Amino acid sequence: MTEDARPGADIVYLPRWRARGNRVGAHRGRDAGGPGTFKDQVSFLRLPDARRLDLRATLRDPFENTYVRRFEARIAVEVWALVDLSASMRFRGTADRMALVGALCASLAASATRIGDGFGLLACDAAIREDLFLPATRGRAGAALAAARLAESVPAGASAAGLLAAAARIAGRPKMVFLISDFRWPPALLEQVFASLAFHDVVPVLLADPAEAEALPEWGLVELEDLEGSGSRLVLMRPALRRRWIARDAERLARLGRLARRYGRTPFRLAERFDPAALSRHLLGT
Amino acid sequence: MSGFLAKVLAECARFGAERPAVLWLLPLALLPLVSAPRRRAAWADLRAVPPDPLSRALAGLLWAAGCLAVTGLVAGISGPYRAGERVTRTGTGAEVSMLLDRSGSMNETFAGRQPSGEEEAKAAASRRILGEFVGSRAHDLFAVTAFSTAPMLVLPMTDRHDAVRAAIAAIDRPGLDYTNVGRGLAMALGQFGAASGHASRVLLLVSDGAAVIDPRMQDTLRAAFAKIRPNLYWLFLRTKGSPGIGDRPTGEDTPQAAPERHLDLFFKSLAVPYRAFEAEGPEAVAAAIRQIESLERDPIPYVEVRPRRDLAAWAYRLAALGLVLLVLAKLAEVDLARGRAGQGTARAPERRMAA
Repeated sequence: MTEDARPGADIVYLPRWRARGNRVGAHRGRDAGGPGTFKDQVSFLRLPDARRLDLRATLRDPFENTYVRRFEARIAVEVWALVDLSASMRFRGTADRMALVGALCASLAASATRIGDGFGLLACDAAIREDLFLPATRGRAGAALAAARLAESVPAGASAAGLLAAAARIAGRPKMVFLISDFRWPPALLEQVFASLAFHDVVPVLLADPAEAEALPEWGLVELEDLEGSGSRLVLMRPALRRRWIARDAERLARLGRLARRYGRTPFRLAERFDPAALSRHLLGT
Repeated sequence: MSGFLAKVLAECARFGAERPAVLWLLPLALLPLVSAPRRRAAWADLRAVPPDPLSRALAGLLWAAGCLAVTGLVAGISGPYRAGERVTRTGTGAEVSMLLDRSGSMNETFAGRQPSGEEEAKAAASRRILGEFVGSRAHDLFAVTAFSTAPMLVLPMTDRHDAVRAAIAAIDRPGLDYTNVGRGLAMALGQFGAASGHASRVLLLVSDGAAVIDPRMQDTLRAAFAKIRPNLYWLFLRTKGSPGIGDRPTGEDTPQAAPERHLDLFFKSLAVPYRAFEAEGPEAVAAAIRQIESLERDPIPYVEVRPRRDLAAWAYRLAALGLVLLVLAKLAEVDLARGRAGQGTARAPERRMAA
């Protein structure tokens, strides 16, 4: 949780849509009103606000109408973290996956609540884990607590199908959704989850680990046991197999990338350690 | 089909164990199915592992090696063996009963002198040539009898050719007394077993002289020859100058005057296949033996003894093979977690050096 201690290491996110709503926040709203950036001019009759008279536009108009400036409202959005808690998230490679998830959620909770956005948390295995559910809240303590609780939880589910239910639960206004998983799902579920979240601004956060591909040994005998209970397998590592392995992994990531881009943003690869600045840069770039 | 099955069953029935109770532990061989003492790395998704037939084959091999090791050890402890047996087979050969003359004159050369230099005594020559005869065919049965004044049973009918050769090797020991053919023949005939069936029987008399067989003995021998019906070969090692088989004596034609001729006549009167070879040197002896060898080519049943074999060594060898495979696999194992820990500890010595 060292990231928490660093002030200013917030995750900077810009929603892709102009939010509607009446809760004042930090993001550009769709409606006019408030102290935001200039939006347009309307006739004084539509907005009789003498403080915002646009003298220049008024004088320029040959029909001598009076104009008033309108400004965008600053609106708060909801930030949701949708966390996959299937057993494969228990994987411990170079880093502990759940520790990374905890750090990310804590940082996200702090960043969101600091600028007045609500932070909600939904953890799912085969169903939604109600004990870890946090409705979108602007309370800092509650959000941080939920993130800490999540970091301590032990993923045990055999699938991540609960994410579909989670998508149904957060239906409604568009939201900022961080979909946090290792995306080791069947292709059908992958497609369904992305489709069900298509209305939101989805940021896929891919939990990877070098130990799963690049850091594999060249030679040796390894017995792998599936965390999701589909047995164990003996593998004789050798350079040819390692190459094939890495290629297969790269292909999987490429497929995921294509799918995610179709629904908005490219996945953010979270591996080894969590760096909020890197996530901010990624969010600005996509 | 059923015959084959019966054969297989009979083959299986010959396997046994010293301590069969130990074999109840054999189900332990399935232990490798339940678990293997290998380090397991927790893995997120096995579907991400590319399919690899070699690894699959190796897993099967190691499983088999585990089973093999346990099976081999349990079987080895139980003390397995394959029971011995006697197998009757048919080969080409004959039952040969050799009757060898050990009288003192056998130690002389064919010229009737004491051997000196390159000369060979009659006994030594017949030893050499008979020794070759014994080794040349695998399934002949031999019995060796020697005679001088009294007959000596040297070796009963056997297929152990080494023993036969050793018995023949002993005939050039200095000879004894006189020649008494009659009792020797009786004992040599007695060497043929009763139940040897259709085997061809050969009585090979090697002598350098003859003696009178008294009439009572002649009757006994006649009866014995009629019962056993062997092929009779007389290898007469003739000393140069001495009377041959066919030579009539100049004086009275009595057995005492020409014992060789009368023994030959006696043999001819026996109504069994009979041939006499008169050999006046080692080459002639060899030629005679070759001729006998070519004549006696009948199928003969012989018994092959297979001793009981201890199979524990094999069981332990198989177990060792399995264990070696398992140990190799264990040595080839890499620990994914330790590899990562190794990266961390690799830096530790530097720090220590700095401190």
